[in-house]
Amino acid sequence: MAATIIDGKGFAGTIREQVAGHVARLKEDHGLTPGLAVVLVGEDPASQVYVRSKGKQTVECGMASFEHKLEADTSEADLLALIARLNADPAVHGILVQLPLPGHLDEDLVINAIDPAKDVDGFHISNVGLLATGQKSMVPCTPLGCLMLLRAHHGRLSGMNAVVIGRSNIVGKPMAQLLLGDSCTVTIAHSRTRDIQELCRRADIVVAAVGRAEMVTGDWIKPGATVIDVGINRIDAPEKGTGEDGRVKTRLVGDCEYDSCAAVAGAITPVPGGVGPMTIACLLANTVTACCRANGLAEPEGLTA
Amino acid sequence: MNIVVKDPRLLMGRLVRDRILSEVASYVNKAGRIGKLVSISIGEVPEIMIYVRNQAAAARAAGLGFDQQLWSADIPQEACKAAIQAMNDDPEVLGVILQRPVPAHINVRSLQSAIHPLKDVEGMNPASIGNIVYNDVAMAPCTAAAAVELIRETGLTLEGLEVVMVGHSEIVGKPAANMLMAAGATVTVCHHMTRSVAMHSRRADVVLVAVGKPHLIGADMIKPGAVVIDIGINQMTGADGAVTIVGDVDTDAVSQVAGWITPVPGGVGPVTVAILMRNAVNAHRRQTDAGWIG
Repeated sequence: MAATIIDGKGFAGTIREQVAGHVARLKEDHGLTPGLAVVLVGEDPASQVYVRSKGKQTVECGMASFEHKLEADTSEADLLALIARLNADPAVHGILVQLPLPGHLDEDLVINAIDPAKDVDGFHISNVGLLATGQKSMVPCTPLGCLMLLRAHHGRLSGMNAVVIGRSNIVGKPMAQLLLGDSCTVTIAHSRTRDIQELCRRADIVVAAVGRAEMVTGDWIKPGATVIDVGINRIDAPEKGTGEDGRVKTRLVGDCEYDSCAAVAGAITPVPGGVGPMTIACLLANTVTACCRANGLAEPEGLTA
Repeated sequence: MNIVVKDPRLLMGRLVRDRILSEVASYVNKAGRIGKLVSISIGEVPEIMIYVRNQAAAARAAGLGFDQQLWSADIPQEACKAAIQAMNDDPEVLGVILQRPVPAHINVRSLQSAIHPLKDVEGMNPASIGNIVYNDVAMAPCTAAAAVELIRETGLTLEGLEVVMVGHSEIVGKPAANMLMAAGATVTVCHHMTRSVAMHSRRADVVLVAVGKPHLIGADMIKPGAVVIDIGINQMTGADGAVTIVGDVDTDAVSQVAGWITPVPGGVGPVTVAILMRNAVNAHRRQTDAGWIG
């Protein structure tokens, strides 16, 4: 039986609709407009695309978008001063500093200068600790998106065996905390793990977040398991021929070999169109959550962990 | 005369404790002037008194100043917070220990957050926990760090080891899991919703247990030769009315299978308080690096 395809793109649309509904309600009932400030330093092309996309979706949901584009040689002091202003600005409920920052800027210092209550990326060290101790925090967007997809597909996750492949600070570790929070038995596998295939084969849920193209193959997957593929890797696709520039065309693949995994799994997220679209949707959800918390209002249900 | 042969399978906490305390003492001797630890108890709670006494004794052994403060049970939250913030600014205070439990009107999390991470020798501030998640484990919660220390005592290399942590409490299970992962182990966290703990624990090179259930872990749940770290402390009343302290592991049975096992009492417990003193030394190093003290 073929695996159910978990439609992250479609689900992200549902989340955005929910966010828009809450934004409309906040405006009407409380005169509040949730605001997201995005800070971009320098002209990294990929970052520019992300920032544009975030700004567009923010506005489409009825929220206020504040974009701050700074020169690549901006000093740390100037950047910290901007963050201090945004921290103090009551119209700004979420602050996102687009990473990576140019080399002369200390990323940890900059991220930890953001008010944790406005840290919609969930990277501030206090939010990391709050999540790790099961307290209310801002939850990193990508793992939050994975959790939402898993909850939507399974209902309750309690008692399931989950294996998270990859122990990164932005996906693997928070993902493990979130799955523990939903009462899964969680194993984190990584580059030092001895028998990763065997470990995965015992899992009801596999979350792959290592950034290695098609590393996980169907023989790693227990029949019927759910596969969440966080990886986005660009590989050569000679079968698509060459482009006008004479280069071999490329395609996007995940950390899981889709066809072989889909043949065994019960459900799987495709790449693209699976986890990816959920990330920005969760950023918007976090901004609404932050706005509600900042104003002492009940948080919308289903938009955070 | 009885000849006592020590069982080499037993990981004795006392030896590790003594070694750590002597390391701390030699640091303190070299450092010369070093601040004091402040222990805050809010209201008189008998079980806290025992902890504080143990901590004071360890501090004395390490040559560290130890200021036992007992605040009145009806002290307001804001007064506690203000006093802690004053300690953050006081160069004579090396570290702050907030004894638990606290009276019902006190928000303990808010007070833990008020302790500056550089003085948070118990590793309870969310920012301190965040540092542990991010692999900076110098000032980790003491019980979790003691458990990891005892695993190291076996001489096994942590990298690649399969570890099962039974119990996912915020102060033991989760930080221990993070510390072991930082050291390269493959960690599985089990808890009360885990379908079959035995299925996981039987495969593990190391099993840690911190759930508070006497004899939860039996010999059939342990792989031959594995390391078993028993973090539980449970009071049992025997048929004759005598009270004994036992762990979460059926120690007699499991010691026939395990390669190493920590006894209860005498395993993790004695190491925990020594780790608190080592955290104080790490606090001193960090405060010096940060330019707080000369």
